[in-house]
Amino acid sequence: MSLLNTPAGPAPVTDVILSVHHLTKRFEGLVANREIDFEIPRHAIVSMIGPNGAGKTTFFNQLTGIIEPTSGTIEFDGTSVIGMAPHEVAELGIARTYQNIRLFANMTVLANVMVGRHVRMKAQWYQAVLGLPHVAREEAAVQQRSLELLDLVGLPRRYADDLAKNLPYGHQRRLELARALASDPKLLLLDEPTAGMNPGETRQMTDLIARLRRELELTILLIEHDMKVVMGVSERITVLDYGERIAEGTPEEIRTNPRVIEAYLGKQATA
Amino acid sequence: MAELISGRRLRRLATIGAVAAVVVLYLCMVGLVEAFKDRNVVTGVITLGAVMLLAVPLIAGYRAALPSRDPSTRALGAGQRVFFGLLVGLIAGAALAVFVLIASTVDLRGVLVRISPPLLEFLTLGLTSGPAQLAIAAIGGLMGALGAALLVSPARIRNAVTSALIAVLFMSMIEPLLRPRLEQLDYTAISDFLYQAHGLTEVASIVCFVVGAGAAILWQPGNDLLRRTVEAAPVQTRRRIRGWTIAVLVVAVLILPQLSGTFLAQVAVLVGLYMLLALGLNIVVGYAGLLDLGYVAFFAVGAYLTALLTSPDSSLGIGLPFFVALPIVMLSAGLTGLLIGAPVLRLRGDYLAIVTLGFGEIARVLFESDALRPWLGGVQGILGIPSPFPVRIDLQLGATHIFASGPQVLYYPIFAFCALAAVFAYRLSNSRVGRAWNAMREDESVAEATGVSTVNYKLLAFALGATTGCLSGALFAVQLGSVFPGSFDVFVSITVLAVIILGGMGSIPGVILGAIVLIGLPELLREFVEYRILVYGAVLVAMMLLRPEGLIPNRGRQRELHEAADEEEEETLDGDLMAQRSTS
Repeated sequence: MSLLNTPAGPAPVTDVILSVHHLTKRFEGLVANREIDFEIPRHAIVSMIGPNGAGKTTFFNQLTGIIEPTSGTIEFDGTSVIGMAPHEVAELGIARTYQNIRLFANMTVLANVMVGRHVRMKAQWYQAVLGLPHVAREEAAVQQRSLELLDLVGLPRRYADDLAKNLPYGHQRRLELARALASDPKLLLLDEPTAGMNPGETRQMTDLIARLRRELELTILLIEHDMKVVMGVSERITVLDYGERIAEGTPEEIRTNPRVIEAYLGKQATA
Repeated sequence: MAELISGRRLRRLATIGAVAAVVVLYLCMVGLVEAFKDRNVVTGVITLGAVMLLAVPLIAGYRAALPSRDPSTRALGAGQRVFFGLLVGLIAGAALAVFVLIASTVDLRGVLVRISPPLLEFLTLGLTSGPAQLAIAAIGGLMGALGAALLVSPARIRNAVTSALIAVLFMSMIEPLLRPRLEQLDYTAISDFLYQAHGLTEVASIVCFVVGAGAAILWQPGNDLLRRTVEAAPVQTRRRIRGWTIAVLVVAVLILPQLSGTFLAQVAVLVGLYMLLALGLNIVVGYAGLLDLGYVAFFAVGAYLTALLTSPDSSLGIGLPFFVALPIVMLSAGLTGLLIGAPVLRLRGDYLAIVTLGFGEIARVLFESDALRPWLGGVQGILGIPSPFPVRIDLQLGATHIFASGPQVLYYPIFAFCALAAVFAYRLSNSRVGRAWNAMREDESVAEATGVSTVNYKLLAFALGATTGCLSGALFAVQLGSVFPGSFDVFVSITVLAVIILGGMGSIPGVILGAIVLIGLPELLREFVEYRILVYGAVLVAMMLLRPEGLIPNRGRQRELHEAADEEEEETLDGDLMAQRSTS
């Protein structure tokens, strides 16, 4: 929080794009998220870490409208997200990727990216049926833009017409990223973007994430297990354990935080 | 020899033989052989029943001679392979021989009603017990060996023989269509040369055989050359070729009823109605992935609404002109789609299928019910639906005289609507809407999170599917001039679904071909009518096992994209290499 409480002065360069207050999610008896406070400054890369079952994915799912919080508030760019359907949240400008890659397997690579653009397209069904010229123009423009996005994430264009399920693993991750980027999101949520990658691929992905923020002026929130990635790319880190926020700070602060070490390595490590 | 028939190989041959035996016995027991034993293929030489029976050991022999996964079989000589075929054929033949022996000594008709004395006489070739069994087994073995020999022989001969046999079979099968038409057009000489007692004459069959074989031999190198030429041509030329192909197809579709006569036009009308239904259901099932088993409901609603609005005999009795009623029908159809779609929005997969199955039956029961009889006519249905299309057309255009009646006229509006529906569906599938549907089909929750309003798109799919189905229903009502609830049973839904699956889910050319194959062919083989469901079942099982993606899978767009991307590719490839080099 200290980063955000900048004293009054010239207009704050880093305004807040997402602010979450007292967010709680209960499943029956289980508390997946308890009273979480969380903020992301615009154009920052923020990470959320924590052991398995700490409630990170539940947190993501509440941000994107997939599950509704039990209590608390989520405000994105001045709008409350609570009660919105996922597609409305997507339209607001939050896009995400998934821990276990979830592509539209039997669609082409290009079509996957173009679906990502859906919310920014205007063609209605009756316009498509009539084959109006502006539909064709929009279609061509989106196709062009989608191909450029493939370039951006480093997925060779020659794969554009292959079915998504036939892509090699690393390319599937890239495609998922391209699909998320296609909607011109303001906030990009990445759920373990380097899971299952070898060190070389992981480094490429880390570089890519940093580059995306720079070139597309994105705000990025990532869940990640790989500490090297987290430490290398994020400006702030939030640590969850048993559904609660146990620490928040710069990578350096987190690295030395005794509660974090305890959560990850057990009690004896701190002793 | 011990090495030749190893345990594993023996097991494989026994399995193929057993399957062939079961198929042969099954064909006899369900009555297919009996049904076709009087239909001549070549009059006085062979009947369709015999062809069916002989084809089984032939195919089994062919399969037995195919190299198996076992690498040692690749080294087998031709003689050994033929021997395998003989063995497999013998198994099938022997099974049939035993069956005939049992059937002629014990009366099985109490259980298996189809095993009639005429069937047995047909199977024994009129021989007495003993010689008959030997003959049956020998024929089986011979066919098996022939099948194997076909495989062993060079590709050129194999193709020629296959094509010749198909030519003979085809020419004899279209006899019910071709012969009346030829006689009608005063080509009696040709018809007498070709046909005699509903089968080909011996001379004609030889001609067909030679032509079929000749065509295969001539076509073989030509085909390859043609394909290579087309593939080598620049994009521009390929587009032009495609344009011409379409133009030729359109002309063929336009003049078909003129050439074919009334009966085939009637079949074509039926094919067209199902094509329209399949195009509509394809939106729901193929694009959006919503398994709707009650699609017949929309067909029924369309037919009944048309009847109510246009027939002066209906309870409404307003007798609107068809083209005034049609927009009302289609609008109401869309609403019906929404009505049925709304309660099932949250259901997925199997649950959706069961609920829609229920809706389909509810619709039929409602139309049949006595409670609604004053309005819908109950079992008697609604009569007196006027057709907006002329009963006959008699035109003198210069030297050509065009005459069309009944289905020959109705054919045109139906195929015009089909073409329209196909174009609309094609445009939708390649638009934002089609992609949203596909995304929903692939993963509903991810589609929603990606920004697709799944509720809206499900309703849209239901509404558009319903509209198309109703359109088909409206034309159906006009074609019959009356509607009865009996026409709208669950079998219509199943048939339409089968058309889509056979053709290829989500593929418009597939749907068109599927309708022609599944609706058209059975009409041409009228003896099949009784066995239609059986054949549908067999076809579907075979398709799912051998080619689950359908006859023409939905990959057309891909090829199109490839053509456009061809020019860019090299450039991009270089770019990639550079990028990779710079990152590593």
